[in-house]
Amino acid sequence: MNTISDRLLGWILTVGGLLGGVAAFVLVVEKIALLRDPSYTPSCSINPILSCGSVMSTPQAAAFGFPNPLLGVALFPLVVATGVAVLGGVRLPRWWWLGLQAGTLLGVVFVHWLIVQSLYRIGALCPYCMVVWIVTIVMFSGTTLRNIGHGVLPFPDAWRAPVAALHTAIPVAWLLVLTALIGQAFWTYWRTLL
Amino acid sequence: MNPQRTKARKAVAKARQQGISTNLKITIGMVVAAVVVLATALVIGRAGDGTPVPAAARDDSHRISTAADGRVTVVEFLDFECAACGAAYPGVERLRADYGNSITYVVRYFPIASHPNAYTSAHAAEAAARQGAFEPMYRKLFDNQRAWGGQRQDRTETFIGYARELGLDSEKFRADMADPAVDARVRAEADDGVRLGVQGTPTFFVNGVEYEPDALKQAIDQALSR
Repeated sequence: MNTISDRLLGWILTVGGLLGGVAAFVLVVEKIALLRDPSYTPSCSINPILSCGSVMSTPQAAAFGFPNPLLGVALFPLVVATGVAVLGGVRLPRWWWLGLQAGTLLGVVFVHWLIVQSLYRIGALCPYCMVVWIVTIVMFSGTTLRNIGHGVLPFPDAWRAPVAALHTAIPVAWLLVLTALIGQAFWTYWRTLL
Repeated sequence: MNPQRTKARKAVAKARQQGISTNLKITIGMVVAAVVVLATALVIGRAGDGTPVPAAARDDSHRISTAADGRVTVVEFLDFECAACGAAYPGVERLRADYGNSITYVVRYFPIASHPNAYTSAHAAEAAARQGAFEPMYRKLFDNQRAWGGQRQDRTETFIGYARELGLDSEKFRADMADPAVDARVRAEADDGVRLGVQGTPTFFVNGVEYEPDALKQAIDQALSR
């Protein structure tokens, strides 16, 4: 049956990893600028809602005691390398895919914690962070569906193919739910843009 | 053998096609549904926007100066923890002293959620207002902004201390700070601000028209000479 192709997954990992890496890198640079000059306004602080300055200076922005984007700077390049290898036709071992599965799973869990914090605790959106949310969700879906389709992950065999076939429907549904939550959380703000 | 193989290949291709179409169908269906929902929300939002933009000041807004003739009303949307508001505060005090009772000066809440005590400080001002001490608390909060602002810990106790210094009933003050009605009032003011197009603090209105802080004096003079 039809599952996510290596070609598509390769592109998802390459492009997603690059976007995520660039976003994380910019956040680190902005964080340094903010540390040097506390009155510095980051390039993405547009107004009280769209503002990475206020998000970056919260305790949640350093969940493990150091700025979160350092994780992205270190780890997104791994994903890019995997994507490029897949595009180049390299057959990666099963343990590599399991590793990528574990990594993207941890990433997606962490990103959802950050989403909850951003939407319901901090009350502001940081555009670069949202790039990371989106690529992490897409890369996790792609990797998981690929691993289900290729039998890397344990899954009921009868459901394997039908689920793996939904390789665009699942991430799109996921992102639409996220969009709805963002829309609801900041509705009074979006209204003013109408 | 050969025809059979082509047949098998065709079946696989067909299955593949069907698979793609199911996935794509669901995907497109969801996107279309989302667009429809969004469009509906926009239409309803617009209809909701048909309710007129609120006046910059409401009858129950906090006035820290009141004009005898009521011709000129200055409204400031502020956040007690915002550094720019703290920087504007001495100028506002001078302005109020200069114009005396020829202008009405209204202060409205617009807490910026990224400031840890933005809401707490607004609650403190509102709790003081319940004991008729909005202006003293407003002064107290700005005079001491550097002492309590910009830090992560909750400043409720600091504000209760201020209330005590101002001679307020501190137990009532403590209860009022936690009163959901106080929070609702603060949020309602901020909602008014959002509807008026306030995007940051401080934002000033002179007779309902927004002005930059630098242009405030000129705007007031103009309105007074009219």
